[in-house]
Amino acid sequence: MIEIEGLCKRFTVRERTSAFALKASTRIVTAVDNVSFNAKDGEVTGLLGPNGAGKTTTLRMLSTLLSPDAGSARIDGADLVSERAKVRQRLGVLGDAKGLYWRLTARENINYFGRLQGLSLPDSERRTRVLIDELGLHDLADRPTQGYSQGERMKVAIARALVHNPQTVLLDEPTNGLDIMSTRSMRELIRGLKAQGKCVLFSSHIMQEVAALCDRIVIINKGRAVFSGTPQEVLATTGLDSLEDAFVKLIGSEEGLFA
Amino acid sequence: MSAFSLTRLSIVARKEIVDLLRDRKSIFLALFGVAISGPLVVCLLYFVAQSIQGRIEKITAPIVNAQFAPDLVRYLERRGIKVEADPPDYEARVKNGELDVALVVEPNFAEALASGRQATITLVTLSSRERSAPIAGRLTGEVRGYATMIGNERMILRGIAPAVARPVQLEELDLSSVEQRSARFLQMMSFYALFAGLMGAIAAALDVTAGERERQTMEPLLTTPVAVAELALGKWLAVALVNLLAVTASMLGFLIALKLVPLGKLGLPFNFGAREFTGFMAVLIPFAFMVPGVLLAFGAAGKTAKEAQSSLTLAVSLVGLLPLISWLRQTKAPWWDVWVPVNGQFAVLSKVLRAEAILPLEWAAMWAVPALICLVALIAFARRLGDEKMLAGR
Ligand SMILES: Nc1ncnc2c1ncn2[C@@H]1O[C@H](COP(=O)(O)OP(=O)(O)OP(=O)(O)O)[C@@H](O)[C@H]1O
Ligand SMILES: [Mg+2]
Repeated sequence: MIEIEGLCKRFTVRERTSAFALKASTRIVTAVDNVSFNAKDGEVTGLLGPNGAGKTTTLRMLSTLLSPDAGSARIDGADLVSERAKVRQRLGVLGDAKGLYWRLTARENINYFGRLQGLSLPDSERRTRVLIDELGLHDLADRPTQGYSQGERMKVAIARALVHNPQTVLLDEPTNGLDIMSTRSMRELIRGLKAQGKCVLFSSHIMQEVAALCDRIVIINKGRAVFSGTPQEVLATTGLDSLEDAFVKLIGSEEGLFA
Repeated sequence: MSAFSLTRLSIVARKEIVDLLRDRKSIFLALFGVAISGPLVVCLLYFVAQSIQGRIEKITAPIVNAQFAPDLVRYLERRGIKVEADPPDYEARVKNGELDVALVVEPNFAEALASGRQATITLVTLSSRERSAPIAGRLTGEVRGYATMIGNERMILRGIAPAVARPVQLEELDLSSVEQRSARFLQMMSFYALFAGLMGAIAAALDVTAGERERQTMEPLLTTPVAVAELALGKWLAVALVNLLAVTASMLGFLIALKLVPLGKLGLPFNFGAREFTGFMAVLIPFAFMVPGVLLAFGAAGKTAKEAQSSLTLAVSLVGLLPLISWLRQTKAPWWDVWVPVNGQFAVLSKVLRAEAILPLEWAAMWAVPALICLVALIAFARRLGDEKMLAGR
């Protein structure tokens, strides 16, 4: 269960207009601007938005990597800022950065995170085995991750995020760079998490993907949540029958929309 | 932030050690480099010392106009010096290094000597060429000896005791030969021991800071309950262990090299046995723990791998510059010398080799200074690891 209320994040960026300018001017970029929505257990919530909309920044705040400038959020009732440790235990995060330790095997990568999540060694090893089975990583499991393909790396990263069997799962563009087969198995995995009663929040910039999976869609653009509802409601609100057109219309003009 | 947990700290440390030791190429190359550089330096110094000694013993004196000073030639030959009469083109050859020196006897030498006037011999040499200096020194001494001998004979003939003409006798006790050579040697050995404690940590420190950014593994790591203090300490322990391996490898290298190379034969009064080994380790262990702390704090300063690398390189050169303080100093060391990091270690290591007593205060400096620096560095390192600006700013 995720409850977000009025979350804001601003970055101070330096700008140089010429290569020889001695002084860089600073500017404030509002990445996330007063975003509120809820994501329930047993549901898949899609965070949809074009590039630069603020999806990654929102997920980074939820995973305690960035502290919000304003607003608050609770994961299963635990406050993001004051109860960080509790939040981290409840969360499984597949973030924007999905790097692995090259010289460690898939098994060691997953097991390391299991141990850091507080699992005992036998528990962690057992969970690692289960996930390797589920994701079909047997043949690679004991090879250093150095030579893995993008899809294989993604699988290890997701196994690492799920090793402690978290109740709430955040996924930042989990199908980015995957082929059709891998995308389908990723969708299966997300449906499986939903069936287990988990709360899944994932981000994407592809309308079809979100529509195929989500019970609820939150569309954000330029840091603002411009729509929140079911896929059917998206079509109903815009009066269009193509989801893609609806998405374009929703982010193109903000008038008459409930943010 | 979650409470500090020793279990997680040890999990981090163990993972980092495994990860570092898997990087066979760079880690083992670094270890091998430091292990071999000590013995290499010992052997090099040995051969240099041996060849200098050999050249001083088997010396040839090129003498221009040797026929005008047959007595001097006989004197030199009696002293074991071969005389090469009238070397052609001697000035050019001294200049280009073919000859170390040449003695030039003036044509009216014999006549001047016989009539009691001052007779002149010119020593032609190139003072800027270091390797010729010992030979020039030896010949100067021999010619002076010859002159003194003649002077003494003349005075005795006139019934004057030679001591009258020389009310003050300056006895030269030349420390430059053996002692100076050993001092050079001490400096080299202490320097390479510290060098091992620095080089051993660089590759590893780079890997756990810049490498973590490059691989984009920092972000996933920070979403787990691990505390930045646990991460910082775990990484530090892992790098320190690798560094300790490097230091031990280097010391064992010295130990073996000094067993094989007979320094005693050259008159170097050293011994690198169990006592020296223990003394070195007692200085180098705290040093080997301090260096990784400093390198990590610098290595974590960059947002990108490249920035981290340049920042870390800066730290390495800073550490490398410090022993120059004592290397270049002409006066006796002031009291605070041992409290300057790296420089102090350098001084105490040299003392260990010279078998001098090391004061309790000096031992205190060897442990307290690294501990303090390490503490500050680790706090800075942990801060930087947890800083969100470092994290998302790509
Ligand atoms: N660390 C940062 N410093 C400065 N600006 C940032 C930082 N992180 C994000 N931004 C800015 O905030 C805005 C939102 O970025 P964010 O990464 O959240 O977008 P996104 O929705 O994930 O986009 P994409 O689909 O391209 O991944 C962008 O304009 C970006 O330039
Ligand atoms: Mg993104």
